[in-house]
Amino acid sequence: MNNPVSTVLIIDDEAHIREFLRAAFELEGFAVQEAVNVASGLRSATLTPPDLVILDLGLPDGDGIEVISQLRRWSSVPIIVLTVRSREREKVTLLELGADDYVVKPFGIGELIARVRAVLRPRQIPGRMDPVVKSGSLEVNLATRAATVESKRLVLGPKEYLVLQILAQNIGKVVTRQQIMKHAWGTSQLDNTHYLRIVVRKLRKKIEVDSTRPRILLTELGVGYRLAS
Amino acid sequence: MIRSLGIANIRAAMASPELIRDFIISILISLALVAAVTIGLAVLDRFFTLRHVSIIYLIPVVIAAAKLGVVPALIAAIGGLGASAFFFYPPIYSFLVNDPEQLIDLPLFIFVALVINQLATNLRRQAAIARQHEIEVQGLYEFSRRLAAAHTASDIQTAIRDHLVAIIGQRTIFFETSKHGRVGPSLSAQDAVPESVRRETEAFVSGGKEIGGGIVVDGGQGHLWLVRPVSEKTADFGVLAIDLGRQSKEAGEALRQRVNAIMADTAATLERLDLGQAINAARIRSETEALRDALIGSVSHQLRTPLVSILGAATVISQAPANRDNGRLQSLANILGDEVERLNSDVQDLLDATVISSKGVQPNYEWMEAADIVNAAIERRQRLLAEHKVVVDLPDDLPLIYVDPILLAQALGQVIDNAVKYSPHKSSIDIAARANGVSVVLSVKDEGIGLVGEEQTRLWERFYRGERHASKVTGSGLGLWIAQAFVTANDGEMEAASAGADRGTTIFIRLPASEKPAEDDE
Repeated sequence: MNNPVSTVLIIDDEAHIREFLRAAFELEGFAVQEAVNVASGLRSATLTPPDLVILDLGLPDGDGIEVISQLRRWSSVPIIVLTVRSREREKVTLLELGADDYVVKPFGIGELIARVRAVLRPRQIPGRMDPVVKSGSLEVNLATRAATVESKRLVLGPKEYLVLQILAQNIGKVVTRQQIMKHAWGTSQLDNTHYLRIVVRKLRKKIEVDSTRPRILLTELGVGYRLAS
Repeated sequence: MIRSLGIANIRAAMASPELIRDFIISILISLALVAAVTIGLAVLDRFFTLRHVSIIYLIPVVIAAAKLGVVPALIAAIGGLGASAFFFYPPIYSFLVNDPEQLIDLPLFIFVALVINQLATNLRRQAAIARQHEIEVQGLYEFSRRLAAAHTASDIQTAIRDHLVAIIGQRTIFFETSKHGRVGPSLSAQDAVPESVRRETEAFVSGGKEIGGGIVVDGGQGHLWLVRPVSEKTADFGVLAIDLGRQSKEAGEALRQRVNAIMADTAATLERLDLGQAINAARIRSETEALRDALIGSVSHQLRTPLVSILGAATVISQAPANRDNGRLQSLANILGDEVERLNSDVQDLLDATVISSKGVQPNYEWMEAADIVNAAIERRQRLLAEHKVVVDLPDDLPLIYVDPILLAQALGQVIDNAVKYSPHKSSIDIAARANGVSVVLSVKDEGIGLVGEEQTRLWERFYRGERHASKVTGSGLGLWIAQAFVTANDGEMEAASAGADRGTTIFIRLPASEKPAEDDE
C-alpha cells in the first residue's frame, strides 16, 4: 500500500510501546521514526516530515494535544492518537483540533493498522479521484450525488445525502457529531443532535441489512459516526 | 391601633392620607371621650350636686395624652373645659364662666396633657427598644443554636447570612475563602456582585488589606457596600459583602458600626465553636479527595501501560507473516487478548468506583438510539460472548432516549459480564430493548444460577458476592453496584427477577424515554 516507502513518526514515552509499534509498522513496510516527548516529536516532524504520526497523549514534557495544535499550523499529516476509554470529551476535542482518528488503549495491532489504512487513503475529492466510495454493499458516487445498495439506486432526502456525503468523504474515519451537524445543518443547529439521530435511523433502514445491527454506518459512542471501510 | 401623634408628626401626617385619617380618628375619639364624661356627669347631676366637675374632665385628657398623642390630649383638655363651662358652671348653656377661679383649670389641663404625653412617649420608646433587644437576643440565640448544629461549612455560612439579614434587613453575600487566596461567592452565586466589591474581598483574602472592621465601598449605581471579614482577626472564616443600598456615606458608616457590633458577638461564637478548625477540616478533606483521585489516576495509568505493550506485542507476534497461519499461536494470542481485556476492565471498575464514591457521576446527556448502546456493549465483548448463544432483539422504532451513552454502555456491559459469568457454556443470553409506556427497558436474560434468598435484594450492594458461587467465579462485587450507580445517574432504575436457583436471572434497566424530540422537517 505504500509506494514509495512511507514514514511513520511514533511519539510515545513508553519504550515497550514504541518497540512493538516499530515492529508492526516495519512489517507493514513503513520506515519508522521515534520521539519520546513533545519537543523531540515536533522537532522530528519538522526535520523529516513523516507521512503519518502516531501520538500518545500523556507525554512527560506536556500534553499530546499541544503536538496536534502545533503540527496543524503547518502540516496536514494524518495523526492517530492513542487514548484511553471513558474520555469521550477528550476524543472529541482531539478530533476537532485536527487529529484524524484515535485508537483506545489497549488495542490489538490489527485495529491500529485498519485505522492507519483509513487515514492514509487519499481524500475523496469530487472530480479529481475516483468519485465512487464503497462500504460493504453501499456505493456512494460523490460526483453524481447518487447512492446505491447492491446496485439498486437509493432515494435519499437532502439531509440524508449530506450526512452520507461527509461520512463517505472520510470513509473509515470517525467523524464527530458536531462536524456532521455543521456539514448538514449549518452552525445554527449544533445542539439539535437528535435531528442527526433521526436521519441516521432513516439512512440505516435504507442501507443496512438489519438497521438495528449496523455493519456499514457505525456509531462511535459519545463521539460520532464512521462509515465502515 | 391608632398611631400616637406628636407635634412633630403633624407635618408628616399632612403628607399621607392614611396619617390624616388616623389623626382625625384620634381627635374624634378624644371628643367622644369628652362627650361620654359629659353624659355621665349629666346623669350624676340629677342625683347629686356636683361642684368641681372640671376635675373629672382630666380623665379624657389623661387617656388621650397616654394613648392618642399630644394634639388629641390638648383637644380633650379644651373640649372638657368647654363642656364643663357650658353644661355645669353657671351661667349654664353658655361658655361664659362667673367664677374666675375656674379659669386656672385651663393651664392645669394643658400642663397635665403635656407631661402625661411626654411620660407615655418615653415609656413607649423604652418598650420598643426592649422589644428590639429581645428580638436581637433571640436571633443571636437562634444563630448560636444553628451554628452548634451546623455540620458543613455551607450550613455555617447560611446561618451567618440569615442572621445578618434578619437583623439589618439588607442583602448579604457570603464569600468563601481559601488559603490560596481564592474567593468564591457561596450560597448566592447567582447574585450579581459589583467588580469593585469583589476586588476588595479578594484584597482581604490575599492579605493585601489589613483585617479589621471592614470598609464601605461604592459599588456603582449609587449603591454602597460594606465589605468585612467575618472575624476581625482572620479572613479564614470568609468575607461578607452587604449591600447597604442607596445611602449617604454617614448612614453607611452608622450601619457599618452596627454590623461590627453584631459580628463581634458572632466572631466570638465562631471562635468558641472552633469554626476555623471545622472549615479547615473541610478544606483538607477536599484536598485529600483530590490526592486520592490523582493517586488512582496514576495507579491506573501504571497498570494500564504494561497492558498496552502486552496486547500490542502479542498481536504483532501472532500477525507476523511467519506466524499468521499458526493456529495454536493465534489461539494463544487470543487468550492474551482476553486476559488483557479482563484486567483492563478491572482497572476501569476501580476507576469507576472511585468516581462514584468521590465526586459522583456527572453524565453527559445526549439523544441516543438505545440500539447503539446495546450494540456497543456487545461489540466490546464479542469473544467473551462467543461461548454463549446470544439473541439480540432490538425493535427499529424505539423512541430516542436522553442519556449518557458511555455510562449506560458500561452499565449494560457489567450486566452482560455477569450473565456470562454465572451461566453455563452454550446456554442462551437474550438481550432486548422494549418501549414500555414512557420508558425504554433494556433486559439481559440468562439461563444461569438464578437468585435465591438474600441475593435477591443484596446483589446491588457494593462488594456483595453471593456465597453459592463466590469460590468458583472470580469477581470484585463491584459490577452491579457500578451499573446501578450509572443507571441511577441517568434517571433510570434497575431490577432483577429470577424464578429461583439455577432457573436463570433477568436484569432490567428502565430508562425514561423523554417525549419524542421534534423531527427536523427536511
